[in-house]
Amino acid sequence: MEHGLEWKVLGTAPDGFLEFALIGDCDLYNAPSFLRDMVARLGAGPTRLRFDCAGLRYLDSTGVGAIIKLLQAAKAHGGELRFTGLMGTPRKVLTLCNVISIIKEDRRDAARS
Amino acid sequence: MSQFIVRKLIVDERNELFDAQGMRYIEFPSDFKRIRDYAAQVLQDCPEAFLEDGLLEQQLSEIIKNGIKHGNRSDPSKLLRVWYDLRKRVRFIVEDEGEGFVDLDDWNDFYRRRQTALHNQDFDAFLELASYRGPKSGPDDGGNSLFAALDYWNGGMIYSEARNKVGVVRWYSVTR
Repeated sequence: MEHGLEWKVLGTAPDGFLEFALIGDCDLYNAPSFLRDMVARLGAGPTRLRFDCAGLRYLDSTGVGAIIKLLQAAKAHGGELRFTGLMGTPRKVLTLCNVISIIKEDRRDAARS
Repeated sequence: MSQFIVRKLIVDERNELFDAQGMRYIEFPSDFKRIRDYAAQVLQDCPEAFLEDGLLEQQLSEIIKNGIKHGNRSDPSKLLRVWYDLRKRVRFIVEDEGEGFVDLDDWNDFYRRRQTALHNQDFDAFLELASYRGPKSGPDDGGNSLFAALDYWNGGMIYSEARNKVGVVRWYSVTR
């Protein structure tokens, strides 16, 4: 069975964050290409990214690892990551491995106002 | 003051979690591309309440991935053996043909430092320790599956003496 992941650019929010919608499964097959794309963006300079995870169905340890690497890259390059809409299994997985404690979350409605 | 407990991975060949009597059995070739399919196949007639909206499949996939990728090095000629019991609770024994989790003691030490940073709310240190990188870790490895597993498998997670076989169990609060 194919489990795809799409990261769709939503635009730049009023607070300056470039927003993406994550849709599908961030798993051992899809997370590496997502990571490479986002690391390239963060490496280009101080970048503020926000991920809307309301459409994220599945997250595994490779996906969590990608998030950790992005958090580390953002810190190294003076950028910032924020998340909205984390729920269901992805939220449970981030909670089980305690990574939820270093994730900054915004309310979905507040993020674009 | 909150209680600070750090769990650890345990080696215990004679643990009851390795008693496969009455368990169902299936074996898979080590095809990396089919890891999630294998987990879904094992769970195809699992009671809905145990699935927890995909969380069980995710956690079982991690164990299968560790066996196929790190144990069997994705060599399709090597088998991954799975014993499973989905009655009243979920229990699995997963065995690969690899050299075993030789870095287990190092991992336990890393995990203790990681959880200490978390307990102390030292989030900069925690970010540095968020993923485990062993000598054989690949660039795409998440390095965090066992952190979640220790919490998720609430009835135990035990390794065999050869460290190429793991037994896990998860209990549920509502008995069916």
